[in-house]
Amino acid sequence: MLTNGLEKRTLSDVDVRDAFFDELYRLAVEDRNVIFMTADMGAFSLERFKRDFPKQYFNVGVAEQNMVSVAAGLALAGKKVFIYSIVPFVTLRCLEQIKIDLCGMNLPVTVVGIGAGVMYGGDGPTHHALHDIAVMRALPGMTIYNPSDALLTQASVRLAYEQAGPVYIRLEKGCLPVLYEDAGGGFQQGFTQLRAGKDISIMATGLMVHHAVTAKDILSRVGLSVGIFDIYRLKPLNEQALLEVMIHSPRVVSLEENSRIGGLGTALSELCADAGCRVPLMRMAWPDGHCREACGREEIHRHYRMDARSVAERILDWVRNT
Amino acid sequence: MPTDKTTLSLSQKARDIRIQTLQMITRAGKGHIGGDFSCTDILVALYYGGVLKVDPARPDWPARDRFILSKGHACEALYCILADQGFFPETELTRYQQPGCILGGHPDRSIPGIEADTGSLGHGLGVGCGLALGARLDGKDYLTFVLLGDGECCEGAVWESAMFAARHKLGNLIAVIDNNGMCVTDRLEDCTALEPLAEKWRAFGWDVQEVDGHDFNSLLSALSGVRDRVSSTPLMVVARTVKGKGVPFMEGRLEWHHGVPKGEKAAQALRALKEMEC
Repeated sequence: MLTNGLEKRTLSDVDVRDAFFDELYRLAVEDRNVIFMTADMGAFSLERFKRDFPKQYFNVGVAEQNMVSVAAGLALAGKKVFIYSIVPFVTLRCLEQIKIDLCGMNLPVTVVGIGAGVMYGGDGPTHHALHDIAVMRALPGMTIYNPSDALLTQASVRLAYEQAGPVYIRLEKGCLPVLYEDAGGGFQQGFTQLRAGKDISIMATGLMVHHAVTAKDILSRVGLSVGIFDIYRLKPLNEQALLEVMIHSPRVVSLEENSRIGGLGTALSELCADAGCRVPLMRMAWPDGHCREACGREEIHRHYRMDARSVAERILDWVRNT
Repeated sequence: MPTDKTTLSLSQKARDIRIQTLQMITRAGKGHIGGDFSCTDILVALYYGGVLKVDPARPDWPARDRFILSKGHACEALYCILADQGFFPETELTRYQQPGCILGGHPDRSIPGIEADTGSLGHGLGVGCGLALGARLDGKDYLTFVLLGDGECCEGAVWESAMFAARHKLGNLIAVIDNNGMCVTDRLEDCTALEPLAEKWRAFGWDVQEVDGHDFNSLLSALSGVRDRVSSTPLMVVARTVKGKGVPFMEGRLEWHHGVPKGEKAAQALRALKEMEC
């Protein structure tokens, strides 16, 4: 059985990055105005796109600023453009081009950043993506997706394609456990309640949703009932619906692979402050600083006590001590 | 080649645009006279010299040429031209930078006749590359023109775009540099080794023509034939200009980058423009 082109039974075997590029391939077949540009960043699943659509594929070289401006020009000429590189290079390096050329003119260009959070691990702070959410969230008219599994990643391609203005997709790679069996409501809500729970609501995004799932299991053993919400669209937040959830939660935890400055936790805090919602909120994120641990993603998560077990322990401490 | 009559009328038009620009800026109390006046003749050549194919009655006409003012701070001169051509009412010029006026201190796409938001330097050539590439992919024959400042060429992104245009053989892209030799607070030669500018563009794979940016014969010798040009190489016209051209006490003086004359100085500037030789 096919679900938007992905075989259901093999969803867990699909690399989320392949899910993304395979969907983009399908889009390029349907619409010759779909253009893909990369600043010299490849992927195995991109090879056939490059081979089959030479007029829709451009490697601009390591020149991200120009890539954004050219994408803007192509969009002005009627194209739907996807631009691609490692997160910091395709966001911060060319931030002003994104602000002026894409957001200022509200053009349908999708910025695709590979390497959410500390996915690039030992490559260090130059390659880490811990500030992109804060920065991209500040740009007017920008829509941000941070998908957490293969199906959602695949869906984000269509969602971006259908958007009239700029979109940023924070992309994972590798095979992630399946969170979504089908596309259901088409991911229009901006978030999904994945698990019900009455004591604590964890609002997580990206890879951290999986940590939340594991943490829930750990916490359930000590009698805590945890609800899990996958905030896959970071901007615009579904403010009213999220506020409803928070107002009715005894406690809320935000969980993200991003600096604690400006990301999901900040966005939820702003939402609460503006609405006068006084729910206890613990923001779990990376501290302000450069992450220089020369090791893999999992080790870095443990180091910062952001792995699933540590997340559960920290939540338990919080519940017991406050 | 243009006739003497053509260049005379272009000179007169340029003088009128400079006068209108000065009046607009002195009225508003802000603007960039120096950079406006150095590129006024280039803009007049493009819009009145039979180069740009645009239709003021249909600013979104699909077949129009695309013109991007990458040195967006020279928008006052461009606004005067667009109003004169009928893209929007001339009354807007009198309300420049006032509440409710469509004309801001840097151009944006909400203004009829403006193709791209500019004002931060180093963006326009890349956007122009995208427009030119888009035209080629779709088999459309409009041309894309971009006007840059030479100070703008200090931006690295300009050279990223230069390499891209050459690699993708964007022969439908024509750029002009308003080469007045000055940036905001210094002469360019005191900031960076921009010269030899024309050689740099040649080395980056562009056809380059060097012209006198205040001589319509010279400007049109480079720009008139661009539509008939059969080339897969982007064209750069390096136009040697004088910042503040037309007002002797402003010419080549840094303080008139965004200085605005008042009182007797403003009257003196106006007299100088009216007496400008055409």
